Amino acid sequence: MSGAAQSDSNMQKHKDATGSDSKDGSQPLQPQKAAAQLEEDDEFEDFPIEGQDWAKEEEVGAQANNTHLWEESWDDDDTSDDFSVQLKEELKKMESRK
Amino acid sequence: MNDARLLDLRDEVLGQVAHYIGLPIPEVFEEIAPILAQAVVLAKDPRHQTEQEADMATPLLGQYLVAINGFIHARNESSLAEWIALEPPFNSHYQGMIQELNQAYPKGSDAALEQKCSQALRAAVDGDDGSPWTAFVKFMLQYLAYLRDVSADESRYLETYELLSELQQRANSALSHSTLGHLVLPIVVANAKLVCRLAIGLDKQPELIAHLKSAGQAGGEDGGPRETLPERAANILRQAFVTCLNDRASGLSADGKPEGKKRGIYMIANLCLKILFQCRKTRNATQIFENIYNLSPPLSAYPKRERVTYLYYLGRFLFGNSHFYRAQLALQYAYDEAPARPECARQRRHILVYLIASNIILGRFPSDALLNRPEAHGLRERFLPLCFAIQEGNLGAFRQHLAFDGPNADWFLHFRILLQLRNRCEPLVWRSLVRKTWLLNGTRPLPESKVTPQTTLDDLVTAFTWASNHGAPGTNDYTDPDFHGVDYGDTGGDSIDATAVESKLSSLIDQGLLNGFIAHKQAKFAITGVKAKGGDVLAAGFPQPWGVLKGKAERFGEDEVPGWKKQQQGGQGGGAVRPGPGVVMTFGSMKAIGAAG
Repeated sequence: MSGAAQSDSNMQKHKDATGSDSKDGSQPLQPQKAAAQLEEDDEFEDFPIEGQDWAKEEEVGAQANNTHLWEESWDDDDTSDDFSVQLKEELKKMESRK
Repeated sequence: MNDARLLDLRDEVLGQVAHYIGLPIPEVFEEIAPILAQAVVLAKDPRHQTEQEADMATPLLGQYLVAINGFIHARNESSLAEWIALEPPFNSHYQGMIQELNQAYPKGSDAALEQKCSQALRAAVDGDDGSPWTAFVKFMLQYLAYLRDVSADESRYLETYELLSELQQRANSALSHSTLGHLVLPIVVANAKLVCRLAIGLDKQPELIAHLKSAGQAGGEDGGPRETLPERAANILRQAFVTCLNDRASGLSADGKPEGKKRGIYMIANLCLKILFQCRKTRNATQIFENIYNLSPPLSAYPKRERVTYLYYLGRFLFGNSHFYRAQLALQYAYDEAPARPECARQRRHILVYLIASNIILGRFPSDALLNRPEAHGLRERFLPLCFAIQEGNLGAFRQHLAFDGPNADWFLHFRILLQLRNRCEPLVWRSLVRKTWLLNGTRPLPESKVTPQTTLDDLVTAFTWASNHGAPGTNDYTDPDFHGVDYGDTGGDSIDATAVESKLSSLIDQGLLNGFIAHKQAKFAITGVKAKGGDVLAAGFPQPWGVLKGKAERFGEDEVPGWKKQQQGGQGGGAVRPGPGVVMTFGSMKAIGAAG
């Protein structure tokens, strides 16, 4: 007698026990308050994707707009902004005091 | 049974039978008498009666164990896992079994229950190839006790946690069996998920474990700090992780997928890491990353969800240890491979926060396109003011944005990136300020001149002093109330003099962020290498930070990321091993990049 074969009739009952209940209890404890105030998640949760992994074309890196994410050349040569104008005044002021 | 007793019984039985059928006793009855007699004896034996009664009182448990035994016999891993329900509330089938357990095997009758399990689980007792799997019987005993004793009551989470961590240890032992252990891998993982959730939950509800904490204040037996509940949980899970990692019976299948216990490595590692990061015990994660780097099959053999999660934690770990270039590599890979689905925006956001922080420290700013993505919602307000301050050389605005008592501190501290941004980005602000000072007031000798372009230290002192106070002053001088009024003597205060400026310049030159030298006697900073840049003073004196820091990281072999197993290979390290200086094989000898001067 195979236990596996014999028990098939009971299988559904057991599947119910493990399947449906796990969702209900997925957050048994309250998330901490600090995170709630910041409206930020506290933890890196499992990906909410059942079964198979996502396809290559679903990856962020495979999206059509996934170019130019970073600026490497951000140096600012413009000296007409407030900060530069005021700094220039300050340098002139200190120079004239000598 | 002695012969005299047998005869007595036979006579008694024969008499009763004769009486019942109303006939004289024929000789043929002589033959069946001993059999009948034995049946009567057995029926009257008090020991046997108990067993029979127990069997009759626990039909559901009996069926259940028969089924479990069948699954082991058939090596049916998935059904075995489905039948080991772990999370209350349980359905009526389990409720019935729990009732039976309470009646027939209440607390304290573990010996009887174990005997029952041993009898029913013959496939485990016999084991495989002459090696019994008694650890599974022990696991089943603990599981049934767990079912019987667990409560869904919130105030009893600690008790539930204790039961589950005990069960985890039994499951871990069952996992250790060389040929059958893999059958319980899904159970080990499912149980580990619960242990992980409860450990984190209990860590957040200090009132439930207050008595443990106060008991622990005295320290451990050796006088060292006592292991906290989450650390203990992570250590228990790590046993299973190590069993999976060290399994010699399994490896990769023909199509490169992990088999047997090797399947569990990253699933269990990720649960350990979740606990350690959530409970701020990240130092303990070192061992996990080292073990994986030395013994694991390549990460690429594992499912994407495990890869992305693992690289997220590895990236955070490297970030926390000031290895920003390596952190950036791991996090960029994790981000690129994460699913673009809307329901996964939360996971992408977590990765992105650390990815952006790493990149800013390395001199790369997030683009508009990146900040417009759904997962970047709200990140613009946090990070862009930093980028502007770095770009402008605006020390005051930079310090104000990251002030401990400023409005952003809580947010940056929540992600634990405040200190790194404060310490590591400030040199980038210095660089921009030196650059701006030269732009505004530096010398520009003719191209044929032998004199280098210069800026005076006086100008730099003026610029640093003024820029430090630009924006709202006084936001960076937090003093803890306990230290109010303390006289430290003359510490030099916040005043910036030529020495302070020279110190900053030296640091920037040393890091390659400025190209030139300090003429100490002349009190000047001179830019060199202009000719090689075709007369472009800015390009010569102020190379782009990203290019500088990336080049330096690559020269030090930091494009190799310890903990990220890329190729299957024997020996330590296991990655793409290239001989030569700068190849770093262990975490202990890794060098920091972009260190503030």
